[in-house]
Amino acid sequence: MVLTLVLSLGPTVRLSAQGDVDRLAIRFASMTAVTGLEQAMVDSLRALFPGSTRDQAGNLTLTLGRGSPKRLCTCPLDEVGYVVGNILPDGFLLLRRVGGGGRTAPPLLDQELEGHRVTVFGTRSAVPGVVAVRSTHLTRGRVATGAPDPVFTVDNAYVDVGASSAAEVQALGIAVLAPVSLAKRPQLYGERLLAAPAAGRRAACAALAAAVQAKPKVKGTVVVAFTVQSLYASNAGLASVKALLGPFDDTKTAALPARYMDTAVETVAFADADKLVREMTQWMEGR
Amino acid sequence: MRPVWRYSGRAVGTAAGLLTALPLYRLSAQDSARISDAQSVLAPLVEAYGVSSAEGRVREAVKQLLPAWVKSETDTAGNLWVRVGQGGPVVAFIAHLDEIGFRVSGIRDDGTLELETRGGFFSSLFEAQPALVHTDRGEVAGIFLPRDSGFTRRTPPPLRVDVGAGSRAGAMARGVSPGATVTMPKQYVRLAGTRATGRSFDDRVGSAAQLLALRRLDRAALKHQVIFIWSVREEIGLEGAEAAAATLGMMPRRVYAIDTFVSAESPLEPPNFAVAPIGRGAVARALDNSSVTPPAYVDSLVQVARARGVALQVGTTNGGNDGSVFTPYGVVDVAIGWPLRYSHSPVEVVDLKDVVSLADLIRAVAETW
Repeated sequence: MVLTLVLSLGPTVRLSAQGDVDRLAIRFASMTAVTGLEQAMVDSLRALFPGSTRDQAGNLTLTLGRGSPKRLCTCPLDEVGYVVGNILPDGFLLLRRVGGGGRTAPPLLDQELEGHRVTVFGTRSAVPGVVAVRSTHLTRGRVATGAPDPVFTVDNAYVDVGASSAAEVQALGIAVLAPVSLAKRPQLYGERLLAAPAAGRRAACAALAAAVQAKPKVKGTVVVAFTVQSLYASNAGLASVKALLGPFDDTKTAALPARYMDTAVETVAFADADKLVREMTQWMEGR
Repeated sequence: MRPVWRYSGRAVGTAAGLLTALPLYRLSAQDSARISDAQSVLAPLVEAYGVSSAEGRVREAVKQLLPAWVKSETDTAGNLWVRVGQGGPVVAFIAHLDEIGFRVSGIRDDGTLELETRGGFFSSLFEAQPALVHTDRGEVAGIFLPRDSGFTRRTPPPLRVDVGAGSRAGAMARGVSPGATVTMPKQYVRLAGTRATGRSFDDRVGSAAQLLALRRLDRAALKHQVIFIWSVREEIGLEGAEAAAATLGMMPRRVYAIDTFVSAESPLEPPNFAVAPIGRGAVARALDNSSVTPPAYVDSLVQVARARGVALQVGTTNGGNDGSVFTPYGVVDVAIGWPLRYSHSPVEVVDLKDVVSLADLIRAVAETW
């Protein structure tokens, strides 16, 4: 499948010369990078880092400095998401989850789709849709008190993009395997708190990006890698960076503490991101 | 539209600086002038917040969209009234301004907000979602907290909101206090063709249709007085309509409740009834949980629609309507709706063709019936 997609429809954010981790984090949290289908987000990041390259696995890498030691600084970009698994004759789409399968799937991950807006990344554009939910009114009198109350699963997720037929869906540029995610609407609240799906990962990557943009005086060589497929196939992206560009004397992964992990309101504090920028910068400089 | 439960034959009416990655009011290239006009009225109403008993902003939005020649008044209950024409028999149209949501019932020591529901909906649809607390000092952003246990049930425990305050004093310093209403951020978003999604189409579509009808109304054609009412507190018990009905008493001949026809046109709904497809026009709500339109009046409505070439479906659905509280005064309730998917959810779906159809039907009824 040709992924000429626009997965990164985040708000336009002007970056200051020294980077602005808040804005970068909001921008990254607005993007979608379903594991294994991260190409569009990687393309967006390439614009931020002149001289960066995308390797054959899809990782974005940038080499800073020269000589030894040779170290790797990394951050996973991807997220658990969905692809279109089937298109029904009446225009509804069915989904297949990607990543986070089996034991590692958060228990309410699929339920957060129900009755919410999603984005289907078609070949022509990002297409808004909604995941069908039963109408409250029509449930009344039909569900007995004490009836089973099972969680919503992806097998019941019917995506409505406003089409009435499969042909209309196809005319929107949507085909089987098109990536699908919750509509990304990062929420700022409290004292510099950011809530969004995968906010922890995105803010950590923003901190790494901000550290790079601060132009650190690198000790030896530092390879910066924004990696793909960390949630699929045994962290294949990171493994391929090590295989292609290693060996490395040391490796550091950008990570941030997050509350409400694996929910649509996963929350990080920008203060923690500020601290991570300083840590990453110092690590690159060998301090 | 207010969900209605029936226990032992008695109606019980309780219930149980943002960023977006997509365009908002995307105008489709093929939109007709009528569709564009409908959207220009509907979208701002949908994006105004107005939980039951806090409808002021929606009422102001309606007033802003009224034709310049209209004189409106607000009664002590909060209903907005517009009277057009003179003489009897008086007929009234009524659509409601309010939407479902929450109200802050308490603030914990840790600053999280306890909530009570306003209207009927699945609380799971709000769990782990962004939140907005509507205070006298403006909107305070927060999140509906995700559960920390009970992961095998769809329904969460009672929801709370975290505004990141950390303490009761911190929350109150942000302007939050018990009684403030709470919703989640909402947007009007176009889908494919002439369809759109958002929250609180119930009953902003009815409110918009009354406005659109008024804008095109031929006042010279009116044979009697026509009253348009935008009511409050429908979702928590038809309270605004009750006040309006008491004011009018036995004066009106008919009341037309303009409210959602909850459609079963969805893969998740049993097709026993309420199967009014979206995009095929307004719907005569001939039977719901609160009222039955006399068959002769349904026939008359169909004739009015046919005479004007307005698309009209006839069906039965669930829920109650504002017109039902007029019937004890001897007023006939002719409930009219439009088909809506996924009612009382954050992603209600409407077809703008149905909004136009509904507006045309209201105009036709006002001018000819």
